[in-house]
Amino acid sequence: MTAPQAHSNEPTNDHDVTVGYSLSINGGTHPVQDAWIGESLLYVLRERLGLPGAKNACEQGECGSCSVVLDGTLVCSCLVLAADAVGSEIATIEGLSADGGLTDVQQAFLDAGAVQCGFCTTGLVMSVHDMLDTTPAPTDLERREAISGNLCRCTGYGRIFEAIDLVVTRRSGSPAGAS
Amino acid sequence: MSGERARRIEGALKVTGRAEYAGEVRPDGMLHAALVQAEITCGDVVGIDDSAARHTPGFVDQVSYDDARSLAPSTATALIREPVVHFPGQPVGLTAADTLLAARTAAARVRVDYVERPSVAAIDQALDEAYAPAMAGRIIGASHRGDPAVALTGAHLVVRNRYQTAVNNHHPMEPHVVVCWWEGEQVVVHTSTQAVYGTRAIIAHALAMPADDVRVVCRYLGGGFGCKGQLWWPWMLWTLTASKRTGRPIRLELTRAQMFTLVGRRQETVQDLAVGFDATGRLVAIEHDVLAQTSTHGEYCDTTAEVSRRLYACPNVRTLHRLVRTNEPQPIPMRAPGTAPGTFALESALDEAAEQLGIDPVELRVRNFADHDHDADVPWSSNSLLQCYQVAADRFGWAQRPASATVVDGRWRIGWGMATTCYPAHRQPCRVRVRLQPDGTIVVQCGTQDMGSGTYTVLAQMVADALGVPLSQVTVELGDTLLPEGPFSGGSQVTASMFPAARQATDALRAQLAELGMGHDETLADAVQRIAPDGIEAEGAATANADIDVRCMSFGAIFTEVGVDADLAEIRVRRVTAAFATGRVLNPLLTESQHIGGLIGGIGMTLLEQTVTDRSSGRIIGDNLADYLVPVHADMPEFDIALIDEDDTYLPGGVKGVGMLGTAGIQAAIANAIHHATGTRVRHLPIRIEDLLHELPATTPGALPSMSE
Amino acid sequence: MSGVAFAYSRAADVADAVARGGAPGAAFVAGGTDLLQLWKAGRATPTELIDVYGLGLDGIGVDGDELSIGATARLSDVARHPFVVDQHPLIAEAVLASASGQIRNMATVGGNLLQRTRCPYFRTAGMACNKHRPGSGCGALDGEDRHAALFGAGSSCVATHPSDLAVALVALDATVEVSGARGVRRVGLSELYRLPGERPDVDTTLAAGELITRVLVPRAASIGRLATYVKVRDRASFEFALLSVAAVIRIDAGTIVHARLVCGGVAPAPWRLPAGEALLIGQKPERGVFTVAAAAAVEGAPPLPGNSFKVELLRRALVRTLTTIATGS
Repeated sequence: MTAPQAHSNEPTNDHDVTVGYSLSINGGTHPVQDAWIGESLLYVLRERLGLPGAKNACEQGECGSCSVVLDGTLVCSCLVLAADAVGSEIATIEGLSADGGLTDVQQAFLDAGAVQCGFCTTGLVMSVHDMLDTTPAPTDLERREAISGNLCRCTGYGRIFEAIDLVVTRRSGSPAGAS
Repeated sequence: MSGERARRIEGALKVTGRAEYAGEVRPDGMLHAALVQAEITCGDVVGIDDSAARHTPGFVDQVSYDDARSLAPSTATALIREPVVHFPGQPVGLTAADTLLAARTAAARVRVDYVERPSVAAIDQALDEAYAPAMAGRIIGASHRGDPAVALTGAHLVVRNRYQTAVNNHHPMEPHVVVCWWEGEQVVVHTSTQAVYGTRAIIAHALAMPADDVRVVCRYLGGGFGCKGQLWWPWMLWTLTASKRTGRPIRLELTRAQMFTLVGRRQETVQDLAVGFDATGRLVAIEHDVLAQTSTHGEYCDTTAEVSRRLYACPNVRTLHRLVRTNEPQPIPMRAPGTAPGTFALESALDEAAEQLGIDPVELRVRNFADHDHDADVPWSSNSLLQCYQVAADRFGWAQRPASATVVDGRWRIGWGMATTCYPAHRQPCRVRVRLQPDGTIVVQCGTQDMGSGTYTVLAQMVADALGVPLSQVTVELGDTLLPEGPFSGGSQVTASMFPAARQATDALRAQLAELGMGHDETLADAVQRIAPDGIEAEGAATANADIDVRCMSFGAIFTEVGVDADLAEIRVRRVTAAFATGRVLNPLLTESQHIGGLIGGIGMTLLEQTVTDRSSGRIIGDNLADYLVPVHADMPEFDIALIDEDDTYLPGGVKGVGMLGTAGIQAAIANAIHHATGTRVRHLPIRIEDLLHELPATTPGALPSMSE
Repeated sequence: MSGVAFAYSRAADVADAVARGGAPGAAFVAGGTDLLQLWKAGRATPTELIDVYGLGLDGIGVDGDELSIGATARLSDVARHPFVVDQHPLIAEAVLASASGQIRNMATVGGNLLQRTRCPYFRTAGMACNKHRPGSGCGALDGEDRHAALFGAGSSCVATHPSDLAVALVALDATVEVSGARGVRRVGLSELYRLPGERPDVDTTLAAGELITRVLVPRAASIGRLATYVKVRDRASFEFALLSVAAVIRIDAGTIVHARLVCGGVAPAPWRLPAGEALLIGQKPERGVFTVAAAAAVEGAPPLPGNSFKVELLRRALVRTLTTIATGS
């Protein structure tokens, strides 16, 4: 892992200086070259590294569409400076399923009809994974609070809660409730 | 198959992030664009100096009015050809650069000189300039039947009030975006649009190009709700101009703040409504006057008063729409245009009348059921509203509705309310191509787009059903003007428009196969290999509806339970039970999800959503998703959705639209429940804490137990 | 992304941060959830960001008679830390009422205390705002004022402080430890904030380059455990407070011997209500007492047209908060 190279102890007006660094994403090393050091992790993922799964919907941390996991913690990648993520392990939707298939959360979203336009979906899948990995059987209040950082304008949220129910049921080994 | 709860066929691409949205296309050498936005409210642009911008490292080009003069004049090009500022934040130029930061830096360095003119920042600043537009949406703006003025004079009860609704913004999660490039004299445009063909037509007209030289692509659309159409076109055209001049692909992606100003809004309304009843609760007269905002550069009027013309049986009805021009962004249709604000007024007024007449609110509506469309004096193609009332009331438990303002659950006062919803069922011209591949699989093509409602899936279902093949063998291609022309996504019309075209295509395909000698018990796969080894295809075409002797509408009944904090007046919707009659239901899984999404959009409009304009500057303030509140997961009530199957023999396939129904009616159902819970009648949206607080008794229910540490 | 680029570097240590942080245009950044938001909206234009996130200031523990929370501790870590939950669940309550899961995972304690106002005139590009640019005017005074302050505002600025955590911490008599060019000092959290006066652009009493390193809270034994946080908002989650109340009381032999009433979202800083506190002392914890204290607490608040309802709302929220504490529910 390479530390940012533009470090300077002198305040400078030369902000157009570009840097090179590497990010560790989904278990692989991704070099970034000639980047401005103030670019967000979301911007670097989407525009420089060809990883468009995290979506750019508000750029302000207010919608959750850009959710990724940084060192085991769910964050809005639009408010993370990519250069600050050097040395961290970054997990994105692209790396969720090792074999390219669907995770149980992704499958449940399909089964429950929790997807419409799909633009918020990847962020929600990341959030639901994060919630269920830390809280396998969340209460109603816990699940409402845990994913309230992810806005959806299409589904009305009802089917998303059904998808969570499906995952909880399936992970607990009970007979699947999918139709 | 039709009627089955088939999973979304493009769903796997969406849950894995592999669905490619328009802004994710990455042509080599792509430039980024940014908009220069007007800092004045109203006036003329008299000078643009981009010399500082040109020194920005990475700067490539700047386009403005001068570069668009050669475009064909039209409403779509007026804003980029004529250097006139109609509203704050209106784009006055566009910069293109190697990086987004460089483009935005350059845009900030463009110096624009203006001559300001006096502005109108709100409709109440120019009430004396209100005028009546000829049309409200697709209906005549004014209507008159019978003699409502006389009937109101003689009525047993008249409920006369003013109802107001706020400006809303659509805010699909995907911001508007265009990625375009030129290939010789042809242009390829990937953009987030509810109308690939409509976009192609406007580009071809503006640039005086043959339509076939313009290709518009939108394979996946991150929501729209009405805003991804016309108002986006001017800035998109500037991007095309810059791409042509630089010879490089360019992308312009709007920011969330720009989504408040540049892509339309639900217009605010001020509605004066009078409803008169006889002693038995039958409507004798309705007068519905609507005042709404439009911009200084365009005219748009929702069909707000249409519900008063035809939802109920009433012999004397007068409606009028009026507009006031302000220096604010242009309104356009937003989910449930017209019916959302219109039902808020009418269905609130019916609730007020029910209380004063001592008649149950459901019973009052049943008594006024319109057995035909009284406005046009034609029959309904189908109308299952009475069944909707009954089914929803039963499932909600309406019969146990307590007297008002008596129920308390902990800190919550509980109230129940209901309302009717409706939306016209329209169709557009549509062509569908069905191709039987040599391997026996099916490819279906239509130049419409999937806004997220499930167009890919229902079209696959239609064809799989008609041809008797499993859904897994059908591939659907949408969102490209290389495909046969399909409808725009709006007004809940796409599914109903596709159905007859798809059926015609599958019928034609079967006829061709029969002519070629397909055996009766032969499978399609066997037949195509034997008699058409290169595959075989057929096209179907359907026309728009021209329903003159019949009226086609979807109907529904919505019941809500609302909690209001007994001290703090926080308002939460606890449960919603709704029954919707939308003809034949092709896919209950997708349909229920549409209804729930529509309902929560309506909850947002009722309790949260309000675009706020500073009255002195005319600027929108709080242009972000922390200040413009939309419902979050924690706001979701318990939903119970009943789908009332209708056998509508008039409509092709019996299909009506779905998407709008849940976003109307819910506003009044909530307002009526709030009145039931608190005794306070709020006649404006959104309804918030301050509207209820002072009329709530200032004590916490329940005694305070004695305590010790 | 706004149109102004900045330089970015990680501070080597606290001394390095403090040495460089006072330069014109320099700003500390940790979680970045507020500063980067403002930068993208064009309402903050730092020329140099100094990242203090990696300085090891994120510890949470007991230090003598105090609970010590590092300035770069993330809100989510604070809310679930056993010491916090055990000693001062009020802090966890306030934190969990804040923002969203993602933002709590990023935002730090120091950044939360120093976040700028949510006044839409401050946040919206192009609007007149004395806090953004002194002398440009205050749009909220004669404009949209639902979010404007009830207390402590002036003719130059009616913006409110949005932190939930700060309200709880003031109710717990917290102090902050600050490192600066002249060494380390401690300042009561109440004294960290200043009123707008003639300089609404300056939110705090911190000197240029001073860095909050930790927050210190007296242990529960000394101030009592009876406390709760009530946040009033339009939406059920993920919204800044329309207003909020943190209350702490200690009861001895059936009478109240210590009381703190602090409200949020209604003043340029977490706002103590001493008149209400005084009327609780020596009284039994009863509804009648709470009602009298709450009425006194809000007396004299000078509202604007659009926020006048908050005087009554605050009075009710105070009664609700105290009643909730008293009934333990």
